[in-house]
Amino acid sequence: MLALRLARGSHPLVLLRRLLVAAASAGVGFLLLCALGYASGHPAHSAGAVLRLLWCLVPFAATVQFAVAVARTDPSTRPRSGLSAVGLGPVRLAVLAAVSTAVSCTLGSMVALLFYLHLRGDLSGLPFDGAAAGLLDAEAPLPLPAALVLLALVPLAAAAGSAFALRAEPVSTAAPDDASSEVLTEPEAPGPTAPPTGLPWGVALTAAGLAIEAYMSRGDGRSLLPLPGRLDATPAGVLAGWALTAAGLAVAGPGLAHLCGRLLQAARPGAVRLLAGRVLMDESRRIGRPLGVVCAVLAAAAAAYALYGTAPRPLGPLTVLGAVLVLGCTTATLLTSALEARQAREQTAQALLRLGAPVSALRAATALRAAALLIVFAPLTWLISELAALPLTV
Amino acid sequence: MVAPPDNDVIWARSLHHSHNGSPALGGVSLGVRDGEILAVTGPRGCGKTTLLHCLSGQLVPEQGEVWFNSVPVHTMGPRLRERLRRDRFGWIAPEPQLVPELNTWENTALPLLLRGASHREAKKTALEWLERLDIGTCARQRPHTLLQGQRQRIAVARALAATPTVIFADEPTATLHRSDRTHVLRTLTSAARSHGITIVLATHDAEIAALADRTVPLLDGRRVATVALPAVSDTEGRAACSLSV
Repeated sequence: MLALRLARGSHPLVLLRRLLVAAASAGVGFLLLCALGYASGHPAHSAGAVLRLLWCLVPFAATVQFAVAVARTDPSTRPRSGLSAVGLGPVRLAVLAAVSTAVSCTLGSMVALLFYLHLRGDLSGLPFDGAAAGLLDAEAPLPLPAALVLLALVPLAAAAGSAFALRAEPVSTAAPDDASSEVLTEPEAPGPTAPPTGLPWGVALTAAGLAIEAYMSRGDGRSLLPLPGRLDATPAGVLAGWALTAAGLAVAGPGLAHLCGRLLQAARPGAVRLLAGRVLMDESRRIGRPLGVVCAVLAAAAAAYALYGTAPRPLGPLTVLGAVLVLGCTTATLLTSALEARQAREQTAQALLRLGAPVSALRAATALRAAALLIVFAPLTWLISELAALPLTV
Repeated sequence: MVAPPDNDVIWARSLHHSHNGSPALGGVSLGVRDGEILAVTGPRGCGKTTLLHCLSGQLVPEQGEVWFNSVPVHTMGPRLRERLRRDRFGWIAPEPQLVPELNTWENTALPLLLRGASHREAKKTALEWLERLDIGTCARQRPHTLLQGQRQRIAVARALAATPTVIFADEPTATLHRSDRTHVLRTLTSAARSHGITIVLATHDAEIAALADRTVPLLDGRRVATVALPAVSDTEGRAACSLSV
């Protein structure tokens, strides 16, 4: 009940983030239901049905990542004086975060179920009744328990993930509720974390993934895990290589961001360059990982476009839905992480403004950080996508 | 409009301010003379911090005037006030409010760097001031590795290094133990006197206020002659309790 009450009074932007989580969860729920519908409609093609279910894992993972990122930025789940005064400690706040996330994800899952039944023609009385009956295998009955289990997956995973994420982090300092209150007992911000050490591992993983992909794509093109719909001829080895590359980029992301920051503040910096570089070095862990994931997803999209983009009708509607979900969720996760970093630095920004630092200097520092990351990560994305597409096109 | 007296570096007339309707200042007037140390005293919540915010241009009072060196501050735009604060004012808060990403000398040099001073010059000045305040040895450490007293001394060094005209110190020693407290205050006042810097010091401690040249007592957002209140008798609440038992 407290989660609902806090949600009712929260800022529209916070509600918008929650709604986005609900929308992503609805998309994943819809895809899962489609896989279930295919399985019940084509009992003979069980391998194909499993394959569809497995492909749903990618948008599923992206959605859970996004839900956790939103839970981490949620103002109602961070330690704050108002709730700690009534005795809500970090443990209860983690439970609160899990409940809030579960609520928004369940909302999305319900919408997905209604929409799915509606498009199949099981619910009538609205426009587009049964508009996609053929695609969704409307003639086969939908096993309800299986549908409910599949729909419960996203809320459960997201709730567990956000509870774990909020429990794992040390109790951060309670931010003052408004800027005007001078809290005398405010503890100093916790010390910065150690620099990330994953860069060599990330580079090794990426290289290994690309090598595996190049090696496997030479073979006879055995398709163990073909993408349902159009992209039938993708060998499993290539996909394994891709998965390794993506993991490698996610691991290397923080290290790369840290390196960007280090270069930015090198060689007699002025105030703006000093602030931009040091902040990037300290935020590299928070920003780097989602940035690496976005980089991997964009590289995959670019490579897929290079390979299949020229086909007359390259993608089916469900594949497009999945791709949009993955792209949208990873990008939204990156933006949410940037927001989280900004919230964490709010007090420092206040202190800087109190020193008389111009707002334009702070904005310039932010722009400089974004530009540095773009300059490093955009060519990297292009390079990875070229390398990934190379063995498949030649 | 009355022209402000010439020898006042800051001059304020009948300042009124409220935070979202809750009254903070109800008509405070004061003048700060050049080079003096002025203590604004009073209990917590009497409007000291709001007064300092108004005087330093961080807040625009709802009514009243603030003049700095015969220039009106209350009519300035935000950009000009920002520049005034950067170039002429220093601020010391109860918390050190250091930038956690920067090390000690970088934190101290930050106001100079923000003014556009060269890297070498800013570093030299910052290191000199850190030496003067006995924290030269930790010039390369990050704030989170230091003690609270050392961090507060860095904040003092940061305010002094830019050699501002006025330093506003809002309860600069509220979070320190007594030994650190005297050290911080002594360095602040002696540096200010030797460099001719004016200090406006907000404090609720009569002992600290005794270091100042002049004292302005505040009570409930108004300037009063003295803040000594009649002592509350111990039994005031108990009698009521015993009646109800």
